[in-house]
Amino acid sequence: MLYRLSLGQKVIYYSLLVLLALIIVFPIYYMFSISLKIPKDIYRDPSLLPTNPTIRNYVELFTKMDFLVNIRNSITVAGTATLISVLISCLAAYSLVRLRYKGRDWIGRLILFTYLTPSALLFIPLSVIIARIHLGNTLQGLIFVYLTFSAPLSTWLLMGYFRSIPADLEEQAMVDGATRLQALFRIVLPLAAPGLVAVGILTFTSAWNELLLALIFITSPSKQTVPVAISYLITGDVFRWGQIMAASVSAAIPVMLLYYLGQRFVVQGLAAGAVKG
Amino acid sequence: MAQHVAPELPKVTVKPRRSGLTNEQRTTILGYALVAPVVICLLILVVYPFFFAIWISFTDRMIGQPGKFVGLGNYAYLIRQPDFQATVRNTIVLVGSVQTLKLVFGLGIALLLNQQIRARQFWRGLILLPWAMPGFVAFITWKLLFHPQAGALNHILISLGLVQTHVDFLSTKALAMPSVILASFWRGFPFWVITFLAGLQTVPNELYEAAAIDGADAWRRFRHVTLPGIRHVILVVVLLSTIWTTNSFEAVWLMTQGGPSNATMTFPVLAYFGLQSLRIGEAAAVAVSLIPIFALLAMIVAKMLQEQD
Repeated sequence: MLYRLSLGQKVIYYSLLVLLALIIVFPIYYMFSISLKIPKDIYRDPSLLPTNPTIRNYVELFTKMDFLVNIRNSITVAGTATLISVLISCLAAYSLVRLRYKGRDWIGRLILFTYLTPSALLFIPLSVIIARIHLGNTLQGLIFVYLTFSAPLSTWLLMGYFRSIPADLEEQAMVDGATRLQALFRIVLPLAAPGLVAVGILTFTSAWNELLLALIFITSPSKQTVPVAISYLITGDVFRWGQIMAASVSAAIPVMLLYYLGQRFVVQGLAAGAVKG
Repeated sequence: MAQHVAPELPKVTVKPRRSGLTNEQRTTILGYALVAPVVICLLILVVYPFFFAIWISFTDRMIGQPGKFVGLGNYAYLIRQPDFQATVRNTIVLVGSVQTLKLVFGLGIALLLNQQIRARQFWRGLILLPWAMPGFVAFITWKLLFHPQAGALNHILISLGLVQTHVDFLSTKALAMPSVILASFWRGFPFWVITFLAGLQTVPNELYEAAAIDGADAWRRFRHVTLPGIRHVILVVVLLSTIWTTNSFEAVWLMTQGGPSNATMTFPVLAYFGLQSLRIGEAAAVAVSLIPIFALLAMIVAKMLQEQD
């Protein structure tokens, strides 16, 4: 970074970057291109550009199949889980970062360990528990189990954010007569807004992407979330690759758009949250 | 004036507003109240199920029946099962190779992006793409890429003359695991690049300058300045990602479902099959047998992350 690059270095570096770009972009491009092909061409016409481009796959996906219902389910589940977890997490993160009390360290450790506990370990006992409280095959049940990963993730990342906000500001407000809660809601949370947005995006996308728990807890097609619906498309007898790719594009675009819009915050938040604590 | 005001001040600040609580007690109560919702949530949803899973793994529980205590019976049974043995082997191969690939290429790409290149922001945004797309979408797309007739890989290999006939990557025993490794690598490396880049930016420039003055070449600067500077970041990413990769379900489930003949079977997929066949005790034992390794990794990560605070 200090050194001006020599011409030879430039040639090598930029060729490597172009190669890398190809490897990254090609699968994404291929997904798009197949989603615009008619079934016959997918198998017979290997051209990279669709020869008879059509939006038929999308039209069928949204009219003949219940993909809109799946999208609605996903938005409901991911949205609610995000709202709940960001709300309770920002209170918890504030408490853990700013207030001194007994047991605080242990609670911090609990959050970190639950953040690292994989759902592959939890889905079996959770399936017993959810069945017992009759929340199986409901979106509420799914929202509830999504808190297993969203609450620790949000809390852990928000703790990083709150640490970066100087405590002087709220102390100043409290000297001026505000209570601690007023200071939290009027001073700290507005300052932490970029952090809340980043954590919201990350929580929403991880709930949007979740497959395993949704596969276990949702049994009726009308309640399937997007990943579950698509995974059933690829395990059927006939692979309708055009529609599968149209569904994949539709599922990826909202999330990638969110990432693009919040990229700066998300990357910062992740780098800070995952590695620096 | 001042003499009149001064004696009144202590009264105002010391006297509690309500009840007889001290400031310290009030902070404690507020602290617990704010942290309580998350803690209760996690006790019910993570801590209790965690221990419940261990208990279930010691029983012969089936769906709908509580089952009875069988001690280590499930584990003794699993160890003899070829599919469990395959799972252990596959997990070592999968995690070992994916992590090695991500470490080597992740570090290489991070160093490349840390150079004086044009449009750095653009390249970083581009690198992030595989990771910004949903995992399930990425793996379904790779399943398509590997497809014998519809997949692009076959078209490319054939047009380059590297193979004569279509290869069925995911159904061929020797090729299934490398295919899963390739797809997992593609999806996972951006996270490594981004965190390595963040780490590289914390290495002080003065150290490079000093090394350059001492006549250190690029390799020595990397070996003695860069690596020690980001050692901590590297370790945390390797450990975190090892936990995630070991427990990732989507890649294998969507691409191969563990096949052909267990060639790509991993812990979460085997446990999922156990649950589907209603044998919860066994399924739990599959998942729980990962706890010792997972706990060790989590403890090291926790220690490293908390040390930095």
